[in-house]
Amino acid sequence: MNVPTEHLLILAGLLFSLGALGFLLRSNLIVVLASIELMLNAANLTFLAGARSHSTEGALNLDGPIFALFVILVAACEAALGLALVIAFYRQKQSVDIEAAAELKG
Amino acid sequence: MQDYNLLWLMPLLPFLGSIICGALHFATLSARKKNPEIESGPGALAAPVAIAAMVGSFAVAVMAWLKLKGLDELARAAGVESSPWHWIDLGPFSIDLSMVVDPLSAVMILVITGVGALIHIYSAGYIKGDPGFAKFFAYLNLFVAMMLILVLSSNLVGLFVGWEGVGLCSYLLIGFWYDKGWPAEAGQKAFIVNRIGDACFLIGAFLLIRLFGTLDTSEIGAAVIGILDNPDQMKDLGLAALLMFGGACGKSAQFPLMVWLPDAMAGPTPVSALIHAATMVTAGVYLIARMNPVYAACPDVLFFIGCIGALTAFIGATSALRQTDIKKVLAYSTVSQLGYMFLGLSTGAWAAAVFHLVTHAFFKGLLFLGSGSVIVGMHHEQNMYKMGGLKKHMPKTFITFMVGAAALSGLPLMSGFFSKDEILFMTYSHGGGYMVLWAIGLASAALTAFYTWRMVSLTFFGEERFDVEHVKPHESPATMTVPLVILAVAAAIGGLLNLPAVLTEHPVLHSWLEPVTAVGHEVLVKLHLVHEHASHGVEWGLLALGSVIALVFSHLGFRRYLKGPEPDLSFARRAPRLTGFLGAAWRLDGLFEVFILIPVRLLSEFISAIIDKFFIDGVVNGAASIAKLVGDDTRKMTTGSVKSYAVWMGFGAAALSLLLIWI
Amino acid sequence: MASLLFYALSAIAVLCALGVVISRNPMQSVLNLLGSFVALAAIYLLSGFQFLAAAQILVYAGAIMVLFIFVVMLLNLTDREEGQSVWMGLFNGRILGSLAVFAGLAISGLIVTTGNLAAVDGAALDAAHTGGLDNMTSLAEVLFSKYMLPFEAASLLLLATLVGVMLLAKRERSTPAPGSKDRDVKA
Repeated sequence: MNVPTEHLLILAGLLFSLGALGFLLRSNLIVVLASIELMLNAANLTFLAGARSHSTEGALNLDGPIFALFVILVAACEAALGLALVIAFYRQKQSVDIEAAAELKG
Repeated sequence: MQDYNLLWLMPLLPFLGSIICGALHFATLSARKKNPEIESGPGALAAPVAIAAMVGSFAVAVMAWLKLKGLDELARAAGVESSPWHWIDLGPFSIDLSMVVDPLSAVMILVITGVGALIHIYSAGYIKGDPGFAKFFAYLNLFVAMMLILVLSSNLVGLFVGWEGVGLCSYLLIGFWYDKGWPAEAGQKAFIVNRIGDACFLIGAFLLIRLFGTLDTSEIGAAVIGILDNPDQMKDLGLAALLMFGGACGKSAQFPLMVWLPDAMAGPTPVSALIHAATMVTAGVYLIARMNPVYAACPDVLFFIGCIGALTAFIGATSALRQTDIKKVLAYSTVSQLGYMFLGLSTGAWAAAVFHLVTHAFFKGLLFLGSGSVIVGMHHEQNMYKMGGLKKHMPKTFITFMVGAAALSGLPLMSGFFSKDEILFMTYSHGGGYMVLWAIGLASAALTAFYTWRMVSLTFFGEERFDVEHVKPHESPATMTVPLVILAVAAAIGGLLNLPAVLTEHPVLHSWLEPVTAVGHEVLVKLHLVHEHASHGVEWGLLALGSVIALVFSHLGFRRYLKGPEPDLSFARRAPRLTGFLGAAWRLDGLFEVFILIPVRLLSEFISAIIDKFFIDGVVNGAASIAKLVGDDTRKMTTGSVKSYAVWMGFGAAALSLLLIWI
Repeated sequence: MASLLFYALSAIAVLCALGVVISRNPMQSVLNLLGSFVALAAIYLLSGFQFLAAAQILVYAGAIMVLFIFVVMLLNLTDREEGQSVWMGLFNGRILGSLAVFAGLAISGLIVTTGNLAAVDGAALDAAHTGGLDNMTSLAEVLFSKYMLPFEAASLLLLATLVGVMLLAKRERSTPAPGSKDRDVKA
């Protein structure tokens, strides 16, 4: 695939921005978590783009994929915990709207 | 330099005595708390402890003197030394603390420990029954320790340590009865006026460091000869000499820093005797005598010292004429006699000044102790107008007081006669401007005789002007009268120490001090300033003149006041302004008030009203209000909305990543 | 050919991401996310990171998305939210589904036609295998030697997550369990 690395990075950037927008603008907890996952994926893509550009004929850069692997791992943990929190939150507030968690106001 | 390691015992014994007496004082306090009826408690032990310390110190002093005496002339100049303690090492400049007994300090230590021991014995009777009995002895011993450090130090730093120490003890002792109010103020006044002198001392010392790189007095003395040809350095030397004299003025109560000494009479009489007559006030004289090469090299500074000394002698004598408090008379008399000592120093007659220092310690100490005996006998009445006719009630006090008065007024063959006349003779033979000073000195001598016998007459003779019914004067106990007798003997025969040249080939004190004054003499020779003494004939004439003046004015003073204080009152009626002027010591206190106290008060009020209120409070309050404003603003961040927190997080993350990119 | 595929797949990924952010229905949001994941996995494959593509599908699409869907179903959030006006219908499951299927078919087609995943990647990474090993083996080699410590730490993290999730999602019991001590204290 003779795609220049910049295009991969542009894609990653787009995905990250969309994820950030969703994270900041939506009030549904599930959508927020999903946006976070999107951002993490964009980061993964960046890592791999970097590994791809640092690889030469004969020496595949392995730091990129390894790091991306760990990111996937951590994202899995984070998603699990986040969803557990969503469940606990729903139990308290009977809603998944983050505007409902405003006790720290003032 | 001979080594004599027992030297350190001399200040150590009184210092230990002071600590033990302090402990006894606290023990007394706690004993009194448990049982308020107690008489004196463990504090009574303080007197024997302190006296033992003093006697021990005196013994060491005598041993040191004997050891010094055993050396030959040359070694004597170097003196007997104790091993030094290396205190500060700054590379090229280092300060050791070591003690040296050379002929000059030998004289001083004998006077300090000897007269001091007598005054301690006297105090055991005087302070008896006072709740602060042990405290008194603690302070007194500490004072002696500090004074010994002052005179024994081989360099100006140790000297200054002792200088400050005696100033502290003076403050503590003047304000001993601080609950009365005014003694505390008097103590503060003494300390603050001393401070002015101390500042001058320090600046002078710094100049000397710059000139010579050392503060060891013998090294400075030797180095002075080397810089005699260098005009710039000589100017610096003159300035340093002048500043150190400023320090001496503060400690020895010369014009204009003499205002503290009369107020210092608020302290107990033994304090006045020891500190303000015999020892502390002579520290200034000692300093200049020790630095005699420096002063010998600066004849202008010496003349200035002479002028101040003569002026002080005159002011003291005239003020003493108008005093009604017996202690105040003696205080002004001390100021006046100190002026004489400085006058003696200014002529280059170091030995004569030291001689007067010694005799003055004898007779002024005697007079103060005697006045203390009178005061105690009169149940703490100090006003001479309310005394009179005490000679039959207090015979021992009377006789010893007469001896002291004879010495002070310079009656022939007394110690005071010889020392005072020696100084006047030296002044006369110096010639030139010193003739004026001689005239002032002679006038002051006349006044001295007059006021001295006025004091004797008002106190011991004439009719009893006190309430005979309620006031029963009594003689003092032996612990107080025995020191009086001893001092009287010393005051009477002390003249033998340094008989004038016409009477003896080698005056004892003069030749004893030669090793110390030789360096100064050498400087004078190099500067071609050695002058011929006046002839023997002139000296006989001056001796005769001095005797006549002393006898005449003593008689005048005595006769005039035999019937009571009426002559004082008629003089006051005829010349009220002059009376007020003299009575207030030429209104020196007023000068201080106008030129120093009022500006300082105004300045402090200005600062507190304006600078403190607007600037400093403004800054502090402003800081607080800034904190409040910032808090009010940042409080708006806590909205409780997760989304806004997320936005802040985003901003923060973006800022951080920008930072990382650009760094 | 591969480049064209890349641009198509990236378009899919972006559109799905947009769908995540815009959808009013949380279920739709999650399914769009799934589509984005699959597209990204295909892109990884095209870049020559076979293991990572597989891991992406397995973990992200297979586990995390399932978890999301479980929770959405559990909390019954399939109803549309109120108060947001958005294009309806554009980002619903039909388009998503077809796109995802397309992605999967594309990848499979590539594998079948070229027979060798590596050849898809182009000359730059043809000889990308060091010493004859393939991507997976070399990764494994590095993971268990150079990155051993993070690997172990990761296992610890998983353990912690396990415990945390159990603690957080535990249901509070309103009535005491039978046989427990705090049952019926007041007699």
